[in-house]
Amino acid sequence: MQNMTIIGVFDDEQKFVSAMEDLKANSITIKEVYTPYPIHDVFHLLERKTRFTYAAFLYGVAAVIGVLGFLYYTSVIDWPLNFGGKPTNAFPSFIVITIILTILSITILSLFTFSIVARVYPGKTPKMPDIRSTDDKFVMVVDRHSSASAMLKENGATEVYEKEVEYL
Amino acid sequence: MYKTEIRGPLVLGDKTYGRISQDITAPIDRRAPVWWKAAMAVSLLAATFGVIAMYVTVRYGIGTWNVNNSVAWGWEIINFVWWIGIGHAGTAFSIFLLILRQKWRTSINRAAEAMTVFAVMCAAIYPAIHMGRVWLAFYIFPYPNTRGPLWVNFNSPLFWDFIAISAYLLISASFWYFGMVPDFATIRDKTTSKFKKAIYGFFAFGWTGSSKEWLRYEALSYVLGGIAAVLVVSVHSIVSTDFASSVIPGWHATLFPPYFVVGAIFSGFAMVMTLMIIIRKAYSFQDYITDSHLNAIAKILIFVSLIMGTAYGTEVFMSWYSGNEYEMFTFFKNRITGDYSFQFWAMVTCNAIIPQLFWFKKVRKNLTIAFIISLIINVGMWYERFNIVVTSLAKDYLPSSWTTYSPTWVEIGLYIGTLGIFGIGVLFFFKFIPMIAISEVKGVLNAGKTVHKQH
Repeated sequence: MQNMTIIGVFDDEQKFVSAMEDLKANSITIKEVYTPYPIHDVFHLLERKTRFTYAAFLYGVAAVIGVLGFLYYTSVIDWPLNFGGKPTNAFPSFIVITIILTILSITILSLFTFSIVARVYPGKTPKMPDIRSTDDKFVMVVDRHSSASAMLKENGATEVYEKEVEYL
Repeated sequence: MYKTEIRGPLVLGDKTYGRISQDITAPIDRRAPVWWKAAMAVSLLAATFGVIAMYVTVRYGIGTWNVNNSVAWGWEIINFVWWIGIGHAGTAFSIFLLILRQKWRTSINRAAEAMTVFAVMCAAIYPAIHMGRVWLAFYIFPYPNTRGPLWVNFNSPLFWDFIAISAYLLISASFWYFGMVPDFATIRDKTTSKFKKAIYGFFAFGWTGSSKEWLRYEALSYVLGGIAAVLVVSVHSIVSTDFASSVIPGWHATLFPPYFVVGAIFSGFAMVMTLMIIIRKAYSFQDYITDSHLNAIAKILIFVSLIMGTAYGTEVFMSWYSGNEYEMFTFFKNRITGDYSFQFWAMVTCNAIIPQLFWFKKVRKNLTIAFIISLIINVGMWYERFNIVVTSLAKDYLPSSWTTYSPTWVEIGLYIGTLGIFGIGVLFFFKFIPMIAISEVKGVLNAGKTVHKQH
């Protein structure tokens, strides 16, 4: 019974967001919400932040250094070819390929990062309190609190029920 | 919430969230209609012809094509560039509009991205078989090998092209796929069929729609969108560099990169229009793909068509202004007039003149005419590539090596084959994947509808 929570189900985005505001104002913890599409107000209210973009930037920096290093190694150290006396370290003509390989690296690393941090991968069994949230319901998982149910109903929840949620 | 007064509602009718899921997933649950089966049969036939042509090419070599010493690049590079061009706009469309926060992309992006993935796959076939000994295609990968180690030439636009197209295919496919993950989850959770639940469940990656997932999902979209925007511009610039870095009259021009990028976006947008009109008509998606959406695409086509017209004019002007006799010969004796003047004027008519009909509201509203114009544009874009490739090569510096070029059945077969492969891909997409991004459309359901209440 330790993981018992209150689930609030809503039909409407605005009512859902105002319920969240109310709960937050009354210091009732919202453990997680499940929505059919991303809602920015939800991110603000739950104070969710991600460092994903910083990670992508770092991948970019690492890729630029890596690619230029690799080009230097192949073209100058490992197999220097004489193209009509031009310098082997032909930096300007390395620029285009560096951009493309950097983009390729960022893409691959970002996809893996997303898969790891958001924990989504092929064949994973979904764990969610109410499967209708991928269709047309806005679902909220709230800490058990004496006034939580009433507050959810007041704000227009179509259903309020208790459920054990052990994965949050 | 997104507010717009210019574009009107993005979703028509009194829809609920549940209704949107139901409407868009309906074709997946229904049996395939007769036209779908007929189209699939035609596509399979075309693809079979293509496979036979590929077999002949690989078995007997590229001597089965009509390319020769002068016209060393024929239909294969024309079709390669044509497919890459079409493949361009899907991601360009989706990504530029994402970055510019244009919410009207939501009904169209999924089909546009699907088109991109299939078109780029068709394009990728050409360089592979053009190598002759396709089983040695891995030589193009830069890896430490026992041949020296002999590295690829990192300064060659052809190598850049290979990497750029691979990256473009990967990024387009992943952008497309991750866009579909929440929709697969919707199907997984709505369907009553155990089989579908298992299949779509596997591909839904365990998606739940929690705030943590959505936050990272959006971050991923913007990261991929941001870098793919650079890629969209660079891929076709690099394709143009394959031409522009040579000293062939008609190719050796600084105009080429922007000219190719714009041309690619032009043909791709036309293909987006073709597909959207088909989807709208065949699946009755009028409430999602509204007149306003098609109107917006038509307006973009007018604008791009004007740029194309300007580019054609600029090329001809520069050949005269340069005073270079070879340039002038190519443009004035071998394009505007001469053996290939039909292809030149077909290009100008299809790409720069006919799309101007979109200035008239009546034409934009008439979907039959819009559909025909969108097809004409892609015919025109094919002629453009023919014009660039063949006219510059057929009559080069030495009159003794002048020649004409027409394709063999193998070359035609390859082209028909890629059309078939594209058709199969698109038809599978129609049948098994939600054609419109369900979760994204839900997010813009009320866009343009609540504005008047607030004033």
